[in-house]
Amino acid sequence: MDFVITTLLNALTLISILMLVGLGLAISFGLMNVTNLAHGEFVTVGAFAVYFVQSVGGSFWLGLAAAPIAGAVVGCILEFAIIRHLYSRPVSTVLATWGVSLILQQGLELTFGLGAKPVTPPIEGTLDLFFTVYPAYRLILIGIAMLTLLGVILLISRTSFGLDIRTVIQNREMAEGVGINTRRTYAIAFTFGAAIAGLAGGLVAPLAIVLPQMGVNYLANAFFVVIVGGVGSIGGLVAGSVFVGGLTSVLNYQISPSLAQAIVLLAAIVAVRLRPNGLFNGASR
Amino acid sequence: MIARDRNWLLVFVVCVVLAVVYPLFADGYQLTVIRDALIFGLFAASLDFFWGRTGILCFGHAAFFGIGGYIMALVTLNDAIPFGSLLGLAGAVTGAAFVAAIIGYFLFFGGIRGSYFTIVTLAMGVICQQAAVSWSSVTGGDSGLIGIPPIEFDLGGLHVDLSQDLPSYIFVSAIVAVAVLALWSISRGHWGTVLTAIQDNEVRAAALGHNAPLRLLVTFVLSAAIAGLAGALYVCMAGLVAPDLSGLLLSTEVIVWVAVGGRGTLLGPVLGAIFIQRAQQTISSFNPSLWPLLLGCVFVIIVFVLPDGILSIYARLKGLFKGGRRAQ
Repeated sequence: MDFVITTLLNALTLISILMLVGLGLAISFGLMNVTNLAHGEFVTVGAFAVYFVQSVGGSFWLGLAAAPIAGAVVGCILEFAIIRHLYSRPVSTVLATWGVSLILQQGLELTFGLGAKPVTPPIEGTLDLFFTVYPAYRLILIGIAMLTLLGVILLISRTSFGLDIRTVIQNREMAEGVGINTRRTYAIAFTFGAAIAGLAGGLVAPLAIVLPQMGVNYLANAFFVVIVGGVGSIGGLVAGSVFVGGLTSVLNYQISPSLAQAIVLLAAIVAVRLRPNGLFNGASR
Repeated sequence: MIARDRNWLLVFVVCVVLAVVYPLFADGYQLTVIRDALIFGLFAASLDFFWGRTGILCFGHAAFFGIGGYIMALVTLNDAIPFGSLLGLAGAVTGAAFVAAIIGYFLFFGGIRGSYFTIVTLAMGVICQQAAVSWSSVTGGDSGLIGIPPIEFDLGGLHVDLSQDLPSYIFVSAIVAVAVLALWSISRGHWGTVLTAIQDNEVRAAALGHNAPLRLLVTFVLSAAIAGLAGALYVCMAGLVAPDLSGLLLSTEVIVWVAVGGRGTLLGPVLGAIFIQRAQQTISSFNPSLWPLLLGCVFVIIVFVLPDGILSIYARLKGLFKGGRRAQ
């Protein structure tokens, strides 16, 4: 019983993170058709923001507030300098964003030096959950992630900006026709996705090994979340995260992490073969 | 079309002549440098054969290079296996092709194209490298395997021993020349035409009776097989195999070689590989961490300034001198 609950909570931690990272990717990759290979670097930048704030004496919570801002700044510059010029050239976007990813990684390494960076969690210790004992910080992480996701759902379904986004996604030409500035909407949506990924980076920083190269693992997994889940709905995002995150956590108990990764990849490929439009989306988009 | 083929053959012959004359002027060390660069050139040509003809970018091509390398190393290091070099080469090619066939089957027949394919192959590269690091009982882990013997075999009374610089240079050059010529003949003929049709409009090509997923799959498998061959040749020449050979950085470098040399030209990527490696060695001797930074800049510059590769400068200049008419 104990063991089951722990595995479940571990899975939930990973799923929360994947949902946050995948959200930005679902916007850029799934809806704008932009393959942004620098998306993992938003996570890295968020984690480094927390490390930087802590290293100059700030608290973890201040760092966590800085993380999405750092992600948003990098995302905004990237959209403005590169991505908006390449909307009609998908392969070029892949190459250019990969170049940016290398530049960011190497830039971080030159600025902060080699080696893993220590980040201390705001709360040490564990919480007694009646069934099992679990690290308190992880529970906070899950809580923040769920609240963020709820906020995003409300933003997209209830605000006028959310309405703009949904309009642009459904039909770009028509949205322009009714007077929506689609370029601006794209730019804001992209920056927003980068900010959420930065927040995810800040949240995992105390649990993960903070390195300039940490982004690529989240990149690959987040892409699988989006591909497996299917694009176009929050439900797909959740389904994809549960598939990738759940499978990884369960397998990690039994076998080595690399082998678990390989199996998750194969499972994702098979899932895509069987359900080309995503696990969640029955209808084609 | 005819003039373009003639030009290509002309450049090819010039390259072959240069390769034949080069040993007269170069010492042993310079020969080995060019030999290793040529192997990576073959690797670049293998990627170009797929990417250039189908327009689908494989972001984990080093996985096949690494698979070929590891199979070659494991076969030749095992004393119990006779004809190690020949079996190793065959195993490397088959192994890489086999993995490509499995992955390609699910992707191409699952309707995965474009960016989706790029992402899945990227993950494949990451996982191959992780597997090479963590499966240390077989692959030697982080440090890899060392002491791989040079290629040596008897074929029809001909004894081939590549432990010396000059024979290995000749052997590699010959293989690269034959492979590039073969890939070119395939891609300019009927097969390549159909691939271009699929790239332009897959639905229409399928309506004309072409089995598009099968074509793409076979092209991908062939491309992976050549990459595996290049990997096998490389580990025998270098004498060692390490996880980096299947890593993401090599996968990206090979894309730069192709993009700089000119996608779809097959010869351009080989030349791109040779020149960029030269530049990399010079730059890395100043500061090793500078190279990835520069590589990133090259990616961005290519996209914005030279989308058709270095060779396009020539075409653009020609266009300039013809009074602004677009040259082709």
